[in-house]
Amino acid sequence: MALITVKKLEKKYGKFHAVKGISFNVKEGEVFGILGPNGAGKTTTLEMMEGLRPISEGEIIIDGVNVADEPYRIKEMIGVQLQSSAFFDKLSLVEILHLFSNLYAQNKDPKALLEEVDLTEKSKNRVKELSGGQKQRFSIAAALVNDPIVLFLDEPTTGLDPQARRNLWGLVKQVQASGKTVIMTTHYMDEAEELCDRIAIMDEGKIVALDTPANLISGLLKRGFKPRKQVAQANLEDVFIDLTGKELRD
Amino acid sequence: MQPPKISRFKRMSTRLGALTIASLKMYLRNTTGLFFTMFIPVVLIVVFGFLFKSNNFKTDISLTNYSQTEISKQFVESLKKVEAFKIDETDEATAADKLGRGKIDLQIIVPANFGKPAESGKGLQPAPVQTYFNESNPRNGQTTNLIVGQIVSGFNAGVTKSPQIFTVEPRGVRTNNLGQIDFFLPGVIAMSIMQIGIFSVAFVFITYKTTGQLRRIQATPTHPIYFVISQAITRELVAIAQVGLLLGLGIWAFNVKMIGSIFEFMILAALGAAVFLAIGFAIAGWAKDENQAIPVAQLVQFPMLFLSGVFFPRDGLPSWLLKVTDFLPLTFLVNGLRKIATEGAHLWNVGGDVLGLLVWGALMFALSVLIFRWE
Repeated sequence: MALITVKKLEKKYGKFHAVKGISFNVKEGEVFGILGPNGAGKTTTLEMMEGLRPISEGEIIIDGVNVADEPYRIKEMIGVQLQSSAFFDKLSLVEILHLFSNLYAQNKDPKALLEEVDLTEKSKNRVKELSGGQKQRFSIAAALVNDPIVLFLDEPTTGLDPQARRNLWGLVKQVQASGKTVIMTTHYMDEAEELCDRIAIMDEGKIVALDTPANLISGLLKRGFKPRKQVAQANLEDVFIDLTGKELRD
Repeated sequence: MQPPKISRFKRMSTRLGALTIASLKMYLRNTTGLFFTMFIPVVLIVVFGFLFKSNNFKTDISLTNYSQTEISKQFVESLKKVEAFKIDETDEATAADKLGRGKIDLQIIVPANFGKPAESGKGLQPAPVQTYFNESNPRNGQTTNLIVGQIVSGFNAGVTKSPQIFTVEPRGVRTNNLGQIDFFLPGVIAMSIMQIGIFSVAFVFITYKTTGQLRRIQATPTHPIYFVISQAITRELVAIAQVGLLLGLGIWAFNVKMIGSIFEFMILAALGAAVFLAIGFAIAGWAKDENQAIPVAQLVQFPMLFLSGVFFPRDGLPSWLLKVTDFLPLTFLVNGLRKIATEGAHLWNVGGDVLGLLVWGALMFALSVLIFRWE
């Protein structure tokens, strides 16, 4: 049973057609990835699903609620990590989480949330004192204050070092294991392969492929694809992680 | 899992309360910003307070005595006895020049026939003492004029031996003898209110927009208008606290006399803060970034600083400019605050200024709603 149904979704900015009638379903409990080059319409699609951007055509239903009709009810149900959003810089992490939990008229314990994302030690710090990976983990903590059924992550690992990326993957798996559905965008194929149950590949406002990573790869091979060079048993990132270790550096 | 049902009002007040507390913390932790909003008015009050204290403790009078009579000499002596006067005997032309350049507050000319016996042999000749005061600083001149008039009438009574039917209590004259700091302080307070309203919004609120903090709030079920309101409440509270502090500084350090009610003064100050906040949010709401907001804020604030009578009286302006600047919001605020502080006016006595501020507030609120852009 699909938790989220997107039907013939379109977004026009004047003459520019950012999203050109895409349809897909997201199943409950899966990690759904949206991949694509810059300007493919990933963020616009996400923002329409989050009720942040008006929908030009088509509809989005999340758990039976129409996003266009009840954006505020949708916002109660979902958690959002935006690609480019800062948090108030004069407040400590605990104070921000306390504020956000009040914005949802909820009473979530900030300490417990910080513990979930392994930031207990930083509870009295300001956001600007955090490393890139810690900032993204905090961003996820803030997105979890309302105990959402769906978590949206827009390029959560962009700009992070390999250790921090792996750490964040662990967090995403932890969120999925707690029964939540995750929708994320990324530019890293290894990340999509590692985390996503299914992925949609977007290009120029359209979905050009949608399947599990394994099916997408075997489909390509069936069409007679040959890699330009023989794939080695390890890659450079494996070397990097082997040499520098997996533990976080922030 | 459905959250427990909470009433709409409870939900709204929880959100607004949490945002207001957060906004207050952020405002007060922004020490550089806080320093600069407080620093300029405090420095102005301290500098001018000392300046006025040393310079204008006494009223400067130039006196020309054309009369040779004993009575005229006694008259001049009795003027010199007035402690608040600094009397300089000089010729008429020099005195007129000094008055024109604002070096003195009052020019007195004692006519040649002052104190001469009347030709009828009965009593003295009518000899009006002429006084001139500078219209651009009428207060000092007028007050002094009153005292001089009293001394003249005292002389009259003494010479004619007629019973004094009308007398003036000298105490009354003294308490109304306000110094320049008393006029200056309400002006500086009005200026600081304008700065909190316009500048602190244009500088700070715009960064919430450009850095995506406002957008993050939009991703929650709380409408960002709550955040705008909480920011306005914060600044309103800060403005009231600052007015109290500046007023306290003036009264404590420079003996500023508050003739009217402090409560009414504060009410008018709070209304003024609301008006300037509406202007500030219209600018910050319309602007896309700092590069748009700050020049516009300057453009709005700068003319008012000089044309609304904050630092010097507006009487010197050309009449057309005077008519235009009569309607500036800061003019209404300066006038109203000054009348309460120095003349003991009540809010209903300054109804025109209150009305002017209300109209500005309503217009600017409507404008900011109209042109506000969330991103």
